[in-house]
Amino acid sequence: MRIAITGATGYIGQRLIHAARLAGHEVLALSRRPVIEAGVAWQFFELANATPLALPSDIDAVLHLAAETRNAAGLDLTEQKAAQLLIDAAASVRAAFVFMSSQTACADAPTAYGRIKWKIERATIEAGGLVIRPGQVYGGPEHGLFGVLCTVVRNLPVLPAFVPAPAVQPVHVDDLVVALLACLAREPSSIISVAAPEGISLTAFLRAIARGRTSRCPVFIPVPVLLLRVTARLLGSGLSRKLGLERLLSLFALQHMNTAGDLQHLALMLRPLSSGMPRSGRGRRELIREGRVLLTYVLRTKPAGALVQRYARAVETLRINQPLQLPELVLKAPALLALLDGSRNIDTNFRCELDWRINAAVMLAEASPQGASRFLDIDNTGSCFRGTVLIVRACMMELSRRFIRFLLWPVLSRVGRKGVYW
Amino acid sequence: MTGTQPVDFDVIIVGSGPAGVSAAFPLVDAGLRVLMVDGGHGARLVPPTGQYLNVRNQDIGNYDWMIGQNFHALSQADAVSPKLRVPTHAAVFEGFVSANRIVADNFVAVGSLAPGGLSNAWGCGVARMTDKELASFPLKPSEMYTSYAAVAKRIGVSGGYCDDLSDFFGLDEWSHGTVPIDNLQNSMLMRYTRSRSALMQSGFQLGRARVAVLTTPQTQTDRQACNLCGTCLWGCERRALYSATDDLQRLHGRQGFFYRPGFLVEQVESQGNSVAISGVGTDGAGVLRARRVLLAAGTLASTRLALQAINHRKLVAMQSCPTAAFMLWLPRHLGRRHEPAFGLGQLSFTLDLGADIQAFGSLFNTTGIPVSEFARHVPLGKRYGVDLLASLLTSCVVGNLFLPGSLSNVSLQLDEDDQLLIWGGYSAEVEMLMKEARHKLRNSFIKLGALLMPISFKVGRPGTDIHYAASLPMSAKPVLGQTDQFGELMGTAGIHVVDGASLSYLPAKSHTLTIMANAERIATHVATNMVLIDN
Repeated sequence: MRIAITGATGYIGQRLIHAARLAGHEVLALSRRPVIEAGVAWQFFELANATPLALPSDIDAVLHLAAETRNAAGLDLTEQKAAQLLIDAAASVRAAFVFMSSQTACADAPTAYGRIKWKIERATIEAGGLVIRPGQVYGGPEHGLFGVLCTVVRNLPVLPAFVPAPAVQPVHVDDLVVALLACLAREPSSIISVAAPEGISLTAFLRAIARGRTSRCPVFIPVPVLLLRVTARLLGSGLSRKLGLERLLSLFALQHMNTAGDLQHLALMLRPLSSGMPRSGRGRRELIREGRVLLTYVLRTKPAGALVQRYARAVETLRINQPLQLPELVLKAPALLALLDGSRNIDTNFRCELDWRINAAVMLAEASPQGASRFLDIDNTGSCFRGTVLIVRACMMELSRRFIRFLLWPVLSRVGRKGVYW
Repeated sequence: MTGTQPVDFDVIIVGSGPAGVSAAFPLVDAGLRVLMVDGGHGARLVPPTGQYLNVRNQDIGNYDWMIGQNFHALSQADAVSPKLRVPTHAAVFEGFVSANRIVADNFVAVGSLAPGGLSNAWGCGVARMTDKELASFPLKPSEMYTSYAAVAKRIGVSGGYCDDLSDFFGLDEWSHGTVPIDNLQNSMLMRYTRSRSALMQSGFQLGRARVAVLTTPQTQTDRQACNLCGTCLWGCERRALYSATDDLQRLHGRQGFFYRPGFLVEQVESQGNSVAISGVGTDGAGVLRARRVLLAAGTLASTRLALQAINHRKLVAMQSCPTAAFMLWLPRHLGRRHEPAFGLGQLSFTLDLGADIQAFGSLFNTTGIPVSEFARHVPLGKRYGVDLLASLLTSCVVGNLFLPGSLSNVSLQLDEDDQLLIWGGYSAEVEMLMKEARHKLRNSFIKLGALLMPISFKVGRPGTDIHYAASLPMSAKPVLGQTDQFGELMGTAGIHVVDGASLSYLPAKSHTLTIMANAERIATHVATNMVLIDN
């Protein structure tokens, strides 16, 4: 497909382009700054400068991600107008239109941000487009609101624990982009909510940031929400908007989203906070470890360093979800991977990804000198007896693998499920 | 638009694959000015040099040609055929579907923009259609005969060996010696002679495969003879396997032949006495004119250009052979070591299914195919799967099976955006026929000492065969969306379809030689006519 993306240089936009390219789509980036990337075309686009634009006729879908996040008044109308122009441009080339909205979108939202989103949502649905409402986006590079929260957690000596604590429904940025691409194919409903079905308290979310992104153990001080409301009232709406108080208060007005149905329609399994939060910079080391395990499993011997490096590079280049969360025991004893390899009990997404990676390990291993001797059976003396023994051994091992897997079923079925390892 | 536009060439051939080059020779021979264009770009990786087993053991650039620096093999992990994963062929298949605006549903659409087209990566199977098979073609079988002879002699065909498939292939009079077959298949052939009559009675016949491979060096070109190096899957460094690039090289330097690679044709349009092709080349968009245009861009691409030329937006049928693959195990050979062997079809078989349906297939040595290609189908943990295959594969033979194209159910349509939509499918009886074929193959091969491995018999998705044909069939009384006996497209003038698209019928046997012979025949007619007009 040929996809046009606004907000291409933003937090979600960058990840989306990467994922879209991996999925084989051609991308047209619509942004102020040029996007220089193989396979990505660029066209100038500015949200604040709402002028009609012409899209190439072969565009199949327009994903509108650009948003005005500065607290400037007067931009409301421009943003709405820009969206309408995009909707028209998409319609004129018969492209699908997807609008990235917000959980705050509501006709009487406390912030202008939420009200504008709601108005654009209406316009989108009227034109037959799709609306995506993400929960609290996190993970990957520290941009957007997630970036702000990371900075806050890193720098404030104490953190507020609001009472009563507002609930957030997190969604990893890479899961969100998968949902964006999936909704083009599936179109489950006109408004699609993408976030963890069960919310967690903001305090728990901040704690997760602290654990995953910093080495701090934060101190929380209870702050009554009532106090904030009174302060905001006293300061007046202009000042409290300037201070960001209004945006903070909008957190407490968030409506809980029922996301389970939409996630099911999109066949999307969200990763748990614990595995999504750690910085991806740590990924290389974990990928090397994962490669060593998978290649040892395939080769029956310790793989050469260059081969493991190749594995890590291959996964980095071709896959979205970075290191696989393998159980600790498997990392220590790669032979135990046999219990997970091809197992039907474990979580579907986890299994598909594991299948791909083991298959990649087989192909990479075969192309190495170690692989040549194992796969072509260089030690073969041409004896029929030896051949029989090896084949019987392989079959016996397979049988015992299946038997042990059957016995361990209750334990194995937990792998990847409930997000324990994914 | 009038017919007085000056033309740049006498004939433009779109595509440089087997059909394109076969059409070029008679035109150039007649002294016409001929331009050949293709959408190829980018250099190809060189295939490995030397004996396959040595190259693998000594790790001579293995990673580069088995996986590829850009992880080509891994990025194509889900592709239907091992060939599509081979890094040395990446440039052959790349970009075809999107450049030609093809959208396929339940159909594996494959084609090539590269110089030489799909012949860079084909199985080299060759066969002549019998008079009976040519019955639906609007021509006398004798008209094809001379073209078959010309093409077979030019490309070099091996397998001339008087056996039960001599009549089926019909090529022995032009063939040279056979490529030696490996021990496994030799033992099967020996056993076949013993139980021949019983097998023939059940409708199974076995013989040497007829393949476009040289067993003696070709003196006019620098193609060398096959030395059983076994790297066939990755490309033949000695050029013993025929590729249309060999003919392209021969055509270079011939008086009146012009070649423009990297020119992607987007539209063909008849304008009075000339035909214009417009497209995008390496130096931007352009229009070229000729008195006649021959479409040889591959069935799918040619069909789209042709339907566009006549603005035909109704459904058109296409044929594609339902296909299956299977593995045989020869227990008596268990524990054997890998031996250097020819990597393409060694033995071929025909199988009669019910009334009037003949299936065709070939058998292959497993040495030159990566073990990972088999491991993905073995229902064992990968560690034990590799254990098993490393010991088992040396006593195994793999085979493929094709059914006639008339059993497919493929529709094409040019949509309003000039995209070619493809809907694939098989006729209802295919499921039963495949079951019957599996049953008959099991019973036949067991007499040859080979067991059809359980669960190894797999029917491919529609389009996996990459034998696409008969979307614009030649007909004695052509209607819109068909072609006349010389492949000339109805509803317009001066546009001939010379590739698989204009075949009238697609049997189970390999069809490339027929495409080439038909292109040669049409081009000979076009050349004669044009020279007559000129004089």
